[in-house]
Amino acid sequence: MPDPALLALTWRVTRRRLVSSPLAVVAGLLFPAFVVWLGLSDSYATAAKFFFFLLPHVFLVAAQDTVRSDVESGALENVLFLGGRYRGYLGAKSLIAAGAAAGYSAALFALFAAWGLAAGGFGPDSLLKFGLAVVAGLYYVALAGLLSHSLRAGSNVLVLLLAQSASIIALVFTTTARTGLLDYAATGRFPGLGARLVFGAWVAILPNVIVSGRLAWFAAEIVALLGLAVFAQVRLLRRLEIRK
Amino acid sequence: MIEAHKLVKRFGRVEAVRDVSFKTRKGTITAMLGENGAGKTTTLKMALGFLRPDSGSVSIAPGRVGYVPDRPVFFPWLDGWAVLGLARARSNGNGRDGNGRDFGAAVLASARSLLFDPALLRRRPATYSAGNGKKFAYLQSLLPEPDLLVVDEPFSALDPPSIKCVRDILCGLRDSGKTVLLSSHMLAEMERIADGFVVLRRGQTIAHAGLREWRLLRSARTGPDLESVFLRLTGS
Repeated sequence: MPDPALLALTWRVTRRRLVSSPLAVVAGLLFPAFVVWLGLSDSYATAAKFFFFLLPHVFLVAAQDTVRSDVESGALENVLFLGGRYRGYLGAKSLIAAGAAAGYSAALFALFAAWGLAAGGFGPDSLLKFGLAVVAGLYYVALAGLLSHSLRAGSNVLVLLLAQSASIIALVFTTTARTGLLDYAATGRFPGLGARLVFGAWVAILPNVIVSGRLAWFAAEIVALLGLAVFAQVRLLRRLEIRK
Repeated sequence: MIEAHKLVKRFGRVEAVRDVSFKTRKGTITAMLGENGAGKTTTLKMALGFLRPDSGSVSIAPGRVGYVPDRPVFFPWLDGWAVLGLARARSNGNGRDGNGRDFGAAVLASARSLLFDPALLRRRPATYSAGNGKKFAYLQSLLPEPDLLVVDEPFSALDPPSIKCVRDILCGLRDSGKTVLLSSHMLAEMERIADGFVVLRRGQTIAHAGLREWRLLRSARTGPDLESVFLRLTGS
C-alpha cells in the first residue's frame, strides 16, 4: 500500500506536469471535439464507435512521462526522495496517471452517455465497452511505464504509436479476398491456434480492439499482460538507482 | 547519526567506493574530504538511499533528514512556492511547520537568513542562477527543521555574503544539537567550521579524525593546517 503522503506529493507533481504538457492538453481537448464532430456530422452510433475505440489512447497520452526522464533530469536527487523514496514516487506516478486518465475518461463517458440517452442511442453494452476501454487504457499505462525505463518521455508513446501504425499497415497489406484476421475479429471466431496467436500479438500492440466486447479471450490476454507489465515494472523499480 | 561500515560500490568495472567506513556524532559538523573521484558523492548518495551499496551497510538515526546536492535540479514545471509546498506536504501537510508558525512566514524567515529574494519563489527554480538554485535547495531542506543535514559542496556557486550566511546556519544547526555532514573541497572553510573529518582517497577511508583528535593535532606545537594535513594524507 503506497504511503498516503507520497501519493499526495506525487499527485501534486503529476497533476501539474499533465496540465503543463501541451501534448496532453491538446490531445485531451481534441479527442472529445473529434467525437462531437463525428456525432454531429454523421450519427451518434459512429461517434460511439470512435469514442470507445480511441478512449484507451487518453491513458496512453497520460503515461508519456514516467521514469527515465525524471531520473536523468536529476530532479529526483532531492530531499523529497531520500531513502529510496523516489522508487515509491515513480511507482505512484503510474497510479496517478492512470487515475487521472480514468477520471477524465469517466467524465467524458458521463457526458457521452447523457448525449446518447438524449439521442436514444445509448445501450447497456456501452458500459461494458467503457470498462474494456479502461482495461486497455490501464494496459497502455503499464506498458508505456515499462518502456519509459529505457526510453525518454514521449519516446515511449511514440514507439507504441509507430508500432501500431506499422501493424495496421501490415494488416491492410496482407488482407486478401479470402477470409482473414479482420473477418475473424469481426465475428469473434478464430479457425485455429495460429490465427489466434497472430491476432493476439496484434492485440498486444493495439489493445483498443478489445472494446468491441466480442473478443473475451483477448480481453483476458490484455488483463494478463497488464499484470505482467506491472510486475516487471515493480521489479525494475526495486533495482532502480539515481546515478546521475 | 550516520554510521557507514565497509561500503563498496561499483559502476560496471569502475570501483567508485571500495572500503568506506565512518561515523558522525550528534551535534557536530563532519567534513568529508577527498580529491576529485575519491568517492565522496557516491558515499553520500549511498548514505541517503539514492544508490544501493554492493556490500557494506549504512545507517542513519531516526529523524528528519535534509539534503542539499552540489548542483540542485528541480522539476521544471513547478514554481518555487509549489516545490516548497511539496516539502511541507512531506513534513505534516497541514500548512504549518513543526512549531505551528504559518508556513509563509517560516519560508520568508528562512529566505531572509539565506539572503534569498522571496520574489523569486514565484518563478520556477529551474530558471534560477546557480547560486540562487543552491540557496533554494537550502531553503527546501531547512524548512522542515532537519535533525541531520547532508550537503554536497556547501559553498559552491554562493557569493561571499551568502557563504557567511550558510556558515552561520550550519554552525547554528550544530549548536542546537543537529548533525551536519558536509562534502567539500574548500579546506579553509571546512577547517573553520568542522568538528571532525573523514578523508577519502580512491574510494577508501584513509583518515577519520573526530573532534578530540583534531583538537590534539591543532594544539601540537607544530600544529599544521588542514590543507597540509590533507595534502600529506592524500600524497598530493
